[in-house]
Amino acid sequence: MNKEAMKMVKAKDLTYEYVRVLETDHGTKEEKVAALKNVNIEINKGDFVAVLGHNGSGKSTFAKHINALVQPTGGTLWVDDMDTKNDELVWEIRQTAGMVFQNPDNQLVATVVEEDIAFGPENMGVEPKEIRKRVDEALATVRMSEYATHTPSKLSGGQKQRIAIAGVLAMKPKCIVLDEPTAMLDPVGRRDVMETIERLNREEGITMILITHYMDEAVRADKVFVIDDGDLVMQGTPKEIFSQVETLQKYGLDVPQVTEVAYLLRKEGVELPADILTIEEMVGAICQLKSTT
Amino acid sequence: MIRDITIGQYYPAESPIHRLDARVKIVVTFLFIISLFVVNTFIGYVCVTAILGAVIKVSKVPLKFMLKGLKSIVIIILFTAVINLFLTQGEQVIWEFGFLHLTWEGIYMAVKMCVRLVLLIVGSSVLTLTTTPIQLTDGIEYILRPLKRIGVPAHEIAMMMTIALRFIPTLLDETDKIIKAQQARGADFDTGNLMQKAKSMIPILVPLFISAFRRAEELAMAMEARCYHGDEHRTRMNVMHMESRDYRAVVMTAVYLVFVVALRIAGNYLPFMI
Repeated sequence: MNKEAMKMVKAKDLTYEYVRVLETDHGTKEEKVAALKNVNIEINKGDFVAVLGHNGSGKSTFAKHINALVQPTGGTLWVDDMDTKNDELVWEIRQTAGMVFQNPDNQLVATVVEEDIAFGPENMGVEPKEIRKRVDEALATVRMSEYATHTPSKLSGGQKQRIAIAGVLAMKPKCIVLDEPTAMLDPVGRRDVMETIERLNREEGITMILITHYMDEAVRADKVFVIDDGDLVMQGTPKEIFSQVETLQKYGLDVPQVTEVAYLLRKEGVELPADILTIEEMVGAICQLKSTT
Repeated sequence: MIRDITIGQYYPAESPIHRLDARVKIVVTFLFIISLFVVNTFIGYVCVTAILGAVIKVSKVPLKFMLKGLKSIVIIILFTAVINLFLTQGEQVIWEFGFLHLTWEGIYMAVKMCVRLVLLIVGSSVLTLTTTPIQLTDGIEYILRPLKRIGVPAHEIAMMMTIALRFIPTLLDETDKIIKAQQARGADFDTGNLMQKAKSMIPILVPLFISAFRRAEELAMAMEARCYHGDEHRTRMNVMHMESRDYRAVVMTAVYLVFVVALRIAGNYLPFMI
């Protein structure tokens, strides 16, 4: 496999501009706004990637580009070597890169769980028998098999979101883009959904692109990208990113709670490493500290 | 309170009527309604009622549920009865006042129309009580399919019905939330005259509509993301197929129709009002 074929998503000078109409005292005024400015991103196949940014940073716009729901006004985006500007490839791109949205209620179409999961494959024109098989598999993968004939409106937010993931899985994607999938969920639902995402990445090898503003979720990713005001400002492993507490704060982002505690302790003169991300690491570091003194 | 509203009126049970293909049930119900207007004798109505009664018995749905549907149209039935009673022209006059006149023909007409209406409602209740909303929608899509050539958007109509069914509970929940939010801020929905009550609905309806439009936009995007592009090259997971019991139902309906037409012809030789 050559180097290019290893890339699931590749963006070159990706730019997206739109015209915003402003209401002023002297009538309306049109203003050009850039949601994404010359973004260059490469995401490897099989990776679990987190995209961070505060509200309005352009991270959702980036997510919609991967699914060809939005087309770039400048630059190019390739999904599995397919140019998203090519209209003939739109359906293939959407099949390769599935998308899960923030609001669990507004992405389920049918009144019965299994019918909803069948929606994607039905649109793709898959044979009825094959659809049945895919639906059962997808339900089992997200561990919702016993809810196959339930109505989505009776399920919890976390369960609905897992159904949405199953709906994408039934389309057999290589990559799933999740646009703040846990933002509207309670802690239990959030844990279930994150667990499902990580397991799918690990066991099925599906590339996961998680758009989020929860730092604790980003910690588990292979790679983190930070978008601020349409610019890609940081990229690296979670350890590289979260050790830069001050830079992150400049972009309106927090760091994981443990990392912040470590940062504050370091400021007070306690000698802790800067890249502590989990409670276990913190415990280890503190224990070592005690044994050295 | 608002959460208790059920969608459709499906009554789950294991019966031959429940198992029938939705398409067959829709067509049979349609033919049954037409047959009600073919019948024009009392003997005919007694027969039709007996047949309908037998179907209800087989469907295992309690009669109470069947008659529930009548509650909402009591006024229409009464109205029809009064109009027919007093405005039917006839020779055997019982009582007369200005343009109002009570005749034997009027009484006959009124009773006939009421029986027709009741049978019509109960007959269509059999369909809605024994068929799930999804089966109904799918059935309608299949039946309308031939009309696509003349521009009837069969798939779109079915898709709209599915989405409506899917979002009714969601929007009811939302209405509940908005009402509570407004009440928490001191809104009063229960006192005042009709005008004031109607006005107090505005703070509920405006946010509800705004949210519904936002939902619609998000749903449209989510559907596109899942490759939805109308019914071109679209397949279905559950394909409807007719089984022997469906063919039996069709044959039975055909026999019923012949019987009804025969009754009508025979009726011509019977004395008035039988």
